[in-house]
Amino acid sequence: MTITPTTTQRLVTARDRTFGAWRRVDGLARLATIVLGALVLLTVVAVLTGVFGSTSATIGGRFAPPSPLAPLGTDNLGRSFLPRLFEGIATTLVVSIVAVLCSAAISTLIGMIAGYYGGAVSELVMRIVDVLYAFPALVLAILVSALLGPGRPAAIVSIVAITIPLMTRVVRVATRTVAERDFVVSARISGVRTPVIFARRLLPNIAGTVVVQASYALSVAILVEGGLSFLGFGVQVPEASLGLLIQQGMLAMTFAPHLLIVPGAVLVVAILCINLIGDSLRDRLEPRETRSLT
Amino acid sequence: MIVVLWSIRRVLAALVTLAGVSVLIFASVRLMPGDYTDLVLGPLATEAQRALAVAASGLDLPIPEQYLRWIGGVLTGDLGYSFVSNVSVTEEFAARLPVTATIAALTVVVTLLVGIPLGFVSALRAEGSAGAVGRFVSALGISVPEFLLAGLLVFAVSTLGLGISVGQYSSFAEDPGRFFGSLVLPIVVLSVGCVAVVARNTRDAVLNVLVEPHVQASVARGETPMFIIRHHVLRNAAVPILTIVGALVAVLLGGTVIVEFVFNVPGMGSYLQTALGRRDYNIIQNAVLLAAAVFIVTALVVDLVSNAIDPRLRLTGGSRR
Repeated sequence: MTITPTTTQRLVTARDRTFGAWRRVDGLARLATIVLGALVLLTVVAVLTGVFGSTSATIGGRFAPPSPLAPLGTDNLGRSFLPRLFEGIATTLVVSIVAVLCSAAISTLIGMIAGYYGGAVSELVMRIVDVLYAFPALVLAILVSALLGPGRPAAIVSIVAITIPLMTRVVRVATRTVAERDFVVSARISGVRTPVIFARRLLPNIAGTVVVQASYALSVAILVEGGLSFLGFGVQVPEASLGLLIQQGMLAMTFAPHLLIVPGAVLVVAILCINLIGDSLRDRLEPRETRSLT
Repeated sequence: MIVVLWSIRRVLAALVTLAGVSVLIFASVRLMPGDYTDLVLGPLATEAQRALAVAASGLDLPIPEQYLRWIGGVLTGDLGYSFVSNVSVTEEFAARLPVTATIAALTVVVTLLVGIPLGFVSALRAEGSAGAVGRFVSALGISVPEFLLAGLLVFAVSTLGLGISVGQYSSFAEDPGRFFGSLVLPIVVLSVGCVAVVARNTRDAVLNVLVEPHVQASVARGETPMFIIRHHVLRNAAVPILTIVGALVAVLLGGTVIVEFVFNVPGMGSYLQTALGRRDYNIIQNAVLLAAAVFIVTALVVDLVSNAIDPRLRLTGGSRR
């Protein structure tokens, strides 16, 4: 008869459990990547080839239910809804991605400058960023769109203005911890030029943080674009975006609920996938202690 | 002494931010294309009539003087009049602010009662399948936009009945039951996102504490889980949780635009939205300034309180810096 020490057993099971959960969560992120990739691929194909039909031709009665000719029914003008849906997804994704790329570039630069130099520079940058941060997100978006006139440029600028403050804060904190470390100090002492320190020493070490923040910013961007279009301050008809389609779907929801439910479901799935991917990226790229909670 | 100096610095920074916000609002309102005289007088008005309307609203003064007049009015409680309806903005605020504040306050109550326990449970059960389910559900919660949830709820309630009113708003003085009844759906919509955010952040905050050596040590000493949570986890996790709840309170007062629009609630959000469409400068300026001021003051209070809870922050200069 062998006696297995209970402590060892407990350790093993605990570890197994941890790895099991990790694998499950990672599976979730993997699934999210596949779904999101398929959505993007399908949208690109649909927009480039027009394989699902025309976005402007009238093909039937108004608010017709799904049929072989119009797989998702028709909208308020008798157009097939499926190509409209893909047009909407494309607009939403392009606006959000362009905005997040701009926002990531700007906030990485000013966040690194603030974090590296500290003192008065940091104080100045943070005060400016705080001013933007103090505006409620959607109010800021509506203000920007009132200034620039509703449309894609306004949507992009307002997303940039909304996502910059948080990203800059996080980049600044991450840079500050890296800038204090020996390899940066020694590079400075041995006379490495500042742009080189930024590009070779700091950037690789905060890139993970930036990627994680950018993934969350992307989900915020899609939400903001949707809300803005929903209130009538974003993309305007005859263009389409997911928010605009949802707003139009709401007008028809009592007799053609699919016009609300389908774009709504696509929007939720897209944001959910991005958030799950962001969570998984964060688990990999950022050790628990350095996470920002705000 | 250090605490006092730090607090003074923090208050000064908040004031600078507030001043910056006021300048930005003032400038952006004045740079907006479109003219309220078009709306009030119609496109056929003569130049002389326009000039008269502009003079009556003080818009012909030099820009710096307009700004100083506005700030002076804000400091003395005189917010001016709506250009379009000529109603006192102060009176409108007095009528509308309580509605939005009620929505925000009840949402925060729901969020605290549901979100924090949920976050604790999913942190303590992080290893099992319950943790994975919790993560998925809370990710779903932050992924459903307010406007979509609001739309679906309107659809569900209007087709299925359920005995909840949509858009049948009545003021508290007239009919308290109906007042709260009409706020149920807006609060539900706002709570879903807020609960998810608070649960996620609570989970992270608690997990951050659970990996620390002093918690391991107390597990090794054989202390009970409840004791460990009460004495070692709660206080350490409190600061990040407080920060996120503070951010939520601050955002909510300016974040009710969509639900007020969908459910037709006469609060600050719908007031601001209408005013923006009409270029009604006095309303826009004051409403946005108020929302920003609430945000800045809440952040300040959260900072000062965090500092009192966690003395370690004094060494590094505060949680938000």
